[in-house]
Amino acid sequence: MSGADTDEGFDPITLEIYWSRLISIADEAAAALLRTAFSTIVRESNDFATVLMDRNGDSVSENTGGIASFSCILPRTTKAFLAAFPPETWRPGDCVITNDPWLATGHLPDFTTVSPIFHRGRLVGFAGSIAHSPDVGGALWSADCREVFEEGIRVPPMRLLREGRRNEELVGLLRANVRVPDQVMGDLEAQVTANQVCAARVAEFLEDAGLDDLQALSRALGARADRAMRRAIAALPDGTWRATIEADGFDEHVTRIACAVTVAGERMLIDFAGTSPQVDRGINCVMNYTHAYAVYPVKCALDPFTPRNEGSYRAIEVTAPEGSILNPRFPAPCSARQLTGHLLAGAIYKALSTVIPDRVIAECGGAPTMRCLFSGLDRNGDRFSQILFASGGMGASPHRDGLPTTAFPTNAGAGSIEAFESVAPLVVWKKELRPDSGGPGRFRGGLGQEAEIEVRAPGPLRLSLLSDRRDHPASGILGGAPGAPAEITISDGTRPHPKSRTTIRPGARLTMRYAGGGGYGDPRERDPAALREDVRNGYVSPAAARSAYGASE
Amino acid sequence: MSAPTARIGVDVGGTFTDLVLHDARRNVVRTGKLLTTPDDPSEAIVAGIRRILDEAGLAPGEVHSIVHGTTLVTNTVIERTGAIVGLIATEGFRDVIEIGREIRYDLYDLFLEPAPTLVPRHRRRTVPERLDAEGNVLRPLDEGAVREAARDLVEREGAEALAIAFLHSYRDPRHERRAAEIVRSLYPDLPLTLSSAVAPEIREFERTSTAVANAYVQPRMRRYLDRLEAQLTALGFEGRLYVMLSGGGIAAVREAKEFPIRLIESGPAAGAMAAAFLARLAGLDRVVSYDMGGTTAKMCLVEDFAPHHKFDFEAGRVRRFVKGSGLPLKVSVVDMIEIGAGGGSIARVEEGSGLMKVGPRSAGAKPGPICYGRGGTEPTVTDADLLLGRLDPAYFLGGEMRLDPDRVRRAFAEGVGARLRIPATEAALGVQRLVDETMAAATRMHLAEKGRDPRRYTLVAFGGAGPVHAYALAKLLKIRRVVVPLGAGVASALGFLVAPPASDMVRSYVARLERTDWAHVNALFAEMAEEGRRLLTEAGADPARIALRPSAEMRHVGQGFEIPVPLPSLALGPADLPAIRAAFFASYRERFGRTVEEVPIEALSWRLACSAPGQDIRLDAALGAAAPARADAAAARRGTREVVFEGAGPLACAVYDRYALAPGARFAGPALVEERESTCVVGPDAQVTVDSVLNLVMDLP
Repeated sequence: MSGADTDEGFDPITLEIYWSRLISIADEAAAALLRTAFSTIVRESNDFATVLMDRNGDSVSENTGGIASFSCILPRTTKAFLAAFPPETWRPGDCVITNDPWLATGHLPDFTTVSPIFHRGRLVGFAGSIAHSPDVGGALWSADCREVFEEGIRVPPMRLLREGRRNEELVGLLRANVRVPDQVMGDLEAQVTANQVCAARVAEFLEDAGLDDLQALSRALGARADRAMRRAIAALPDGTWRATIEADGFDEHVTRIACAVTVAGERMLIDFAGTSPQVDRGINCVMNYTHAYAVYPVKCALDPFTPRNEGSYRAIEVTAPEGSILNPRFPAPCSARQLTGHLLAGAIYKALSTVIPDRVIAECGGAPTMRCLFSGLDRNGDRFSQILFASGGMGASPHRDGLPTTAFPTNAGAGSIEAFESVAPLVVWKKELRPDSGGPGRFRGGLGQEAEIEVRAPGPLRLSLLSDRRDHPASGILGGAPGAPAEITISDGTRPHPKSRTTIRPGARLTMRYAGGGGYGDPRERDPAALREDVRNGYVSPAAARSAYGASE
Repeated sequence: MSAPTARIGVDVGGTFTDLVLHDARRNVVRTGKLLTTPDDPSEAIVAGIRRILDEAGLAPGEVHSIVHGTTLVTNTVIERTGAIVGLIATEGFRDVIEIGREIRYDLYDLFLEPAPTLVPRHRRRTVPERLDAEGNVLRPLDEGAVREAARDLVEREGAEALAIAFLHSYRDPRHERRAAEIVRSLYPDLPLTLSSAVAPEIREFERTSTAVANAYVQPRMRRYLDRLEAQLTALGFEGRLYVMLSGGGIAAVREAKEFPIRLIESGPAAGAMAAAFLARLAGLDRVVSYDMGGTTAKMCLVEDFAPHHKFDFEAGRVRRFVKGSGLPLKVSVVDMIEIGAGGGSIARVEEGSGLMKVGPRSAGAKPGPICYGRGGTEPTVTDADLLLGRLDPAYFLGGEMRLDPDRVRRAFAEGVGARLRIPATEAALGVQRLVDETMAAATRMHLAEKGRDPRRYTLVAFGGAGPVHAYALAKLLKIRRVVVPLGAGVASALGFLVAPPASDMVRSYVARLERTDWAHVNALFAEMAEEGRRLLTEAGADPARIALRPSAEMRHVGQGFEIPVPLPSLALGPADLPAIRAAFFASYRERFGRTVEEVPIEALSWRLACSAPGQDIRLDAALGAAAPARADAAAARRGTREVVFEGAGPLACAVYDRYALAPGARFAGPALVEERESTCVVGPDAQVTVDSVLNLVMDLP
């Protein structure tokens, strides 16, 4: 029970105090990043992370909010940085960056920045942050490119700062390749600030604690997290469970995710053999991203409350065949890799549904996310670019109905329509729950929503769509039925390609119907009182109550 | 008889109703405490007023005013005991309050309980109407639909109150106002809340949520305030009744009946106002106010003798200490953080990590900590304090309650101690270190978000557990001075007597600075100034002494967070642009340490803070005339007790009687200073002096 043997001499009270302190340092860095970032995606979609790492690049603590999967990737990227820049070459005030999809988060728009932490003149660790940049040039917001080269500028691991001095050549090159250079540089500065906050606080912490470095503490905390996960896995029976799910993919290339989850003692192997091969469209999902989105749902289901660090995922191995859509070879396009990566939770939970039926949820309507981006000129002639953030319904769970309009496994929020309309020549005529979109079940899937947006710009706007689930709704689990599929239509009667870049004319109205979550368990077992409330509230129509749930009245 | 001068503050809490009376003419202060009467809180208030007047030898007619703070609003939201509310919204936007911000407030919990929705979908109706972001009518109001929706909600759904929230009504309230006329013509007495009146700010979810919450608590608050007024009149009270707003200002009862939601943080605001008053008396311009009770610790920054404010608040959270799990409200509140760390916070060993956690779960007053002997079995912070020698088992609550240290020692040894394989004392020290660290972390974060460095602040500690933990907390925060006022229980109630008439006005109008229609902005300020003057005059302010402070919420175009920017005047024009830009950059730099000059700036909301001077009270009177004359600490010493300090082991501490310490007394730690409601722990390296108003001033090296 006690972990004294691996606590490196720290007593359990001190260990808890230090752990909390290091988490709050990562949180403070995250706050600094969030408050000064320009990127609406960072803000509304929580597309960021801050991580504190030890001298080896192993994660010690990560911020509480943000995108869970990113925190899992950052230490991997840092180790790639250490390969390019060995430990003895780092100086105080350095900052190394990259947006290479294979080394970092799977697509170009995310910049990873890492700064060294020095204490008493020695390198003791690294402060890292990831944030979705306002722009990286290329075919912004696309899923239709054929190679990564079309998707924007790719920065290999390079120094943005050397001993506090800006690498002006890199900055010049970056600025020349993006549409909004001030905002891009502003956000990189926000990331540097976040790293500085983290580094300063860690040095202060080490001073307070009287420690020379983070290594022993990092090992002790890693061991605690590792043991918690191993114990949770060991509680499952040994065996292999398989599941396959499908999504729209791109045109004729339906995405098929095959997964086999093996439990052997206190270890888990998640293997995606049998998954679709990579495609020459931007929905390929590099191994870093595959790994992150495979371990996150396991953490939620098995060990949700232990804080995360390098140890959390040591007991889980993730494999996918090289050349598959979950482990593509360079230079595969991957800008919209979330359209594939977000699907993994559903596949893993489906595989585990008979083993731990009380701890998994049905597929989510909001996995993957569905986005429309409008850009062009407003009435003042100013360039604008506006994304509507909105989510489909969450899958139902063994304990309650799925949450309406809530994303999982990502945690993208939504902004205000009034604020949206005050900065873009667009009018949103409707943003309302979508009746009958929740998958029927003993517990009902969460409702999706319907949004209707009119273009009121002086001229045509560019419209980018990134979506899935048109032909493959979120499936139910353990007898639950699927949620409603996603639908996108334009007022002239056309149905735009769900992963496309087109133009939309003034006066046209775009209707986005977000998918509902899958149901859990047999709909005929639904509590009749709950069903009556659903009908009373218009979540379920009387017709669907009869046809899908077998209601008599 | 001359004009009445006595003033009474009444704070109705969940357990106790606290009263404080101050009569400037006769220089008396009295305090009183009795059990709250939950079914009709006015019962305890009237009984308490009667009692305190008797004790002070005053007649009800000699009372100038009563200032009232209440937890009724917040409890109504938490306990879901409000009215049946119907909502009328813009067509296409029926579900704004249910869709919310679309976030999961806990990233790892698959089975989250959704944040509360006060109006179920079947009581939400929509009507055709629409304005755009500039206030132009895109679609006229369908008056027939309003009539039909109101009838339907009242007659079929049994609505007892209605809220109307239309899109962009912050920009132009005409549709909401017309709809209100229609509703009033049908149901003249029905409580009705307009979003444009209660919270005229951009962002429909927060504004609608505020309107709905106001409607939800309004019928109950109206009944309650009507009854209270009638009972006070029956008592012979002829003065004015005021209420304490969440922002720490006082207001007339009429405002409380119209916008009861503004009382959501009525009680906690008083504590911050008291801290601000104490800071002013002690001449401390940078203070962290620290109020630690049985369930929570509350921290608030007080600068230049005023607490920080913020303009949003979350009520009725599913998880009390988790952001995003409650109802967002656009109200002016004292900017306070609430931490799940109090005397009753429970220590446990977490399954996954095998490490100890303290809080946020609390043993509360019942069963309470183990040492109370009322059935508590889980070790709490108070139990740890007792075991470590910080509390005297024979002198808790002045000896009213005897504590049981043996039972506590057993619980620590056999419970968390055994699980962690450490002795009881070490486990208790662990609890103390953890709770102090939790408070320190939250405080550091709160200050960091405002760009403040704790080392430059003084900690003002009160509440029953505040003085017990202040020394250790100050150490962690590297704060070098701690001030502990006399009478932890009285300190907070002083806030009612010193609070000024104050109100915060707001209007949203989104514009880039260089394209702002200044005539429009000035008209908004004129409107707000008029309303503010009216409200403050109602709240007893001298119209000649009302101060108006304009500011705006600004950001760079493209950013999502606004920062407050003070403005030079209420009559702005293009000539003020350089000054406004400079003020924006100054505010930006203060928070973020840098500026980005190239990106344009926009304003979203325009604010006017209206206030009049508060009342001063003389604290020597508040403390009673019994202050001892001798400044010799030795005379106040009443023994020695052993206390375990982190890193120093058990140390023999001098124990002082707080009531026997006179101004000018000095002593060094380690020491304990005991008073009825609390004990101040003085660490081995601290020095204490007693100042002229009997504060303990503790200096750390």
